[in-house]
Amino acid sequence: MDVLGSLQQLLSGFSVATTFENLFYCLAGAIVGTLVGVLPGLGPIAGIALLIPATFGLNATSAIIMLAGIYYGAMYGGSTTSILINVPGETASVMTCLDGYQMARKGRAGPALAISAIGSFVAGGLAILGLVFLAPPLAEAALAFGPPEFFSLMVFGFVVLSNVTGGSLLKSLMMAVVGLLIGTIGMDPVTGNPRFTFGSISLLGGIEFVAVAIGLFGIAEVLANVAEPAEVLEQRVVVPRFRDLYPTLQDVTQSLGAILRGTGIGFGVGLVPGPAPVIATYASYMVERRLGRHPEQFGQGAIQGVAGPEAANNAACQSAFIPLFVLGIPFAPPTAILLGALLIHGVNPGPTLIGEHPNLFWGVVASMYIGNFVLLLLNLPFVPLFANILRIPKKVLLPLVMLFCLTGMYSVNNFVVDLWVMLGCGAIGYLMRKWAYEGAPLLLALVLGPKMEVAFRQSLMISHGGFAIFVERPVSLGFLLATLGFLLLPPLKRAVRSLNPKRAATA
Amino acid sequence: MRNGRRVIMRSGVVLIIGLALVLGAVVPGLAAEFPTKEVQIIIPYAAGGATDLVFRALAASTSKYLGKAVVVVNKPGGGGAVGVTEAMQARPDGYTLVTAITPLTILPHQVKTAFTYRDFEPVINVVQDPAMFQVRADSPWKSLQEFLDYAKKNPGMITVGNSGAGGGVHLIALAFEKAAGVKFNHIPFAGGGPSVTALLGGHIHAVSVSPPEGIPHVKAGKLRIIALFSEKRMADFPNVPTVREQGVNFTMGQWRGLAAPKGTPPDVIKKLHDSFKQGMEDPAFVKNAADMSVTLAYVGPADFAKLMAQDHERYGKLVEEIKK
Repeated sequence: MDVLGSLQQLLSGFSVATTFENLFYCLAGAIVGTLVGVLPGLGPIAGIALLIPATFGLNATSAIIMLAGIYYGAMYGGSTTSILINVPGETASVMTCLDGYQMARKGRAGPALAISAIGSFVAGGLAILGLVFLAPPLAEAALAFGPPEFFSLMVFGFVVLSNVTGGSLLKSLMMAVVGLLIGTIGMDPVTGNPRFTFGSISLLGGIEFVAVAIGLFGIAEVLANVAEPAEVLEQRVVVPRFRDLYPTLQDVTQSLGAILRGTGIGFGVGLVPGPAPVIATYASYMVERRLGRHPEQFGQGAIQGVAGPEAANNAACQSAFIPLFVLGIPFAPPTAILLGALLIHGVNPGPTLIGEHPNLFWGVVASMYIGNFVLLLLNLPFVPLFANILRIPKKVLLPLVMLFCLTGMYSVNNFVVDLWVMLGCGAIGYLMRKWAYEGAPLLLALVLGPKMEVAFRQSLMISHGGFAIFVERPVSLGFLLATLGFLLLPPLKRAVRSLNPKRAATA
Repeated sequence: MRNGRRVIMRSGVVLIIGLALVLGAVVPGLAAEFPTKEVQIIIPYAAGGATDLVFRALAASTSKYLGKAVVVVNKPGGGGAVGVTEAMQARPDGYTLVTAITPLTILPHQVKTAFTYRDFEPVINVVQDPAMFQVRADSPWKSLQEFLDYAKKNPGMITVGNSGAGGGVHLIALAFEKAAGVKFNHIPFAGGGPSVTALLGGHIHAVSVSPPEGIPHVKAGKLRIIALFSEKRMADFPNVPTVREQGVNFTMGQWRGLAAPKGTPPDVIKKLHDSFKQGMEDPAFVKNAADMSVTLAYVGPADFAKLMAQDHERYGKLVEEIKK
């Protein structure tokens, strides 16, 4: 692609994005997005959908600038509740709970919040560069993913990521299987028959992911606190000292590598159809734990465990715009809603979008730069405010968290059954915590399982039942080989070592 | 001074309108007494889908004709069964409506739902979208005849994607198969978008879809409409013949309308119908619909009831066939 041409176009995009009107809508989108991200349950999907009618009177460019702002703004806000009260507001911030909340418990909520804003900003900026220069070729490559490739990718993700926290492998796999089982509840994706619904209409749509996530993390945390002796409840969490509100230079240098790797992972995964933010954040966390010099610190409040996944989810969010703008294909649910918004504003999303509406495309891209910058400025001053929430005594804070979870959850689908699922998962999550079972593999399986099943059955339907379809296609074969390598490498290493006792002794 | 007089005049006007409203409300038997508060439309699907977009736009344009706000509430789940069940149980006073779209006549055959279309009073049909098959522009089949000839010689070899097992376009594809005397290999996807993506990537041979799905790619020359199941040709593609013109006697499409719980008084239904009809004809809504490439098709309550009854029977037979 013509680099100079792109730069010129981008500059003209800035002239579109910096009109007073568009600056206003960019700012509005970023603020709404942050709020939507902070509220548990209410995610970017609901936020964009609810505001589409408000854009009926706007021109298409302003409307998309604002709606896109909600999407990436939510990625900034999503980490807040994860860090402060262990409540993952949406799928993309489950991983942030693991170390972010531990940092907060040690009085380091400030640095955790700040580093997630900085990580999101760096990732956003780099990913938009990718959007500008690499969009067309990458979008075409993404089409190579059909059902067999998708299945093999899911297998790879499943095997590699299920032991993401590095605890007991057996327990992780057990939890993953439970997640897979929960994922089969609802309508059979191929025949449309109800499965495991016990004749109840309420279960026909399956179990809501957000309800399970908030239950296993947030509600379980509240219950664990309630179970403590009464004098603990009188205490405040940890009062942060002022100089601890912002990250130290050491925090930043430690996080830089994690942010850059997270950006790369997020950008790549965001191009693939499917639950990109979840895979990207899990993969980033996994990579950081493996590469880290102190893997034992992960889960105890390692700042890299916050920086990497937060960068990854923002990068994935930006690169999800590539298939939307270049091909007119939404790979992620929030971009599907943006596609609807484009249609409503008379813009035909499709391969001709950039050519027919250059002002819209480049204007929106330029606004993303402005939006990310605004979000950084917006989020950093809020850090002390949010960190001070932890000054509230626990006996007041915990009921508030409970109320927050219940109202947030109800706002997602306006569906009471979701609340019961959430509370039930809270109780189960409390027991899991007592016996050291991880919630993260369960959530991963709950997201990936149904998609993996559909891809598997679609592939076999296309091949008329022949399993060869998974190895005949190069991309699919590549993922399967990588999975095999991952499984075989550790035992092989051990075997080699036992054959060569001298090296084993020195190693 | 002038400002002051304007304020007085304005409050006078407001007073008169207010009095008129009060009088209208106390005179019994007049349709003017409905509505006294906002009217709610339950959409049994997630926000952002085609049904959601159409009825949000319609709600916005209808409010001024109805005199009260029309509010949209999403109650997704159970393939639409959750929201429809709730609407069925709502008080039949005209303040709770539900979108009645094709799956209302499909779902009761597939699962044990608490409702059928008979539990609702039809209000108005708004949209009737043609169903169609699309193939890639570089596909070897240049005409419906070539496509069907190949399908006849190679039964079950042409893969046809659809938006979900047992959904409207899946059943329409099954019905077309029977009408044309061929056999396809039906592949379900999680929505119309993913099926179109798989077609663009060359992982399947064709898709069964309803606009706006795939239409931008047809306009961009990447996809081609190979079989159109509407009665008339589409305004956007005057050169694409329908299958009926080419000798296969088959038309089928998907409708989207509004219904109220059974027992809603006829004068309330009439008031709702008249307001939504005005909303449908509002230029702002007409433009929104055209931008979304959906085909507006007004059908009044009586004919809408017949349409639902006819499709209920038709889909019942089709669902029986998949279950075999």
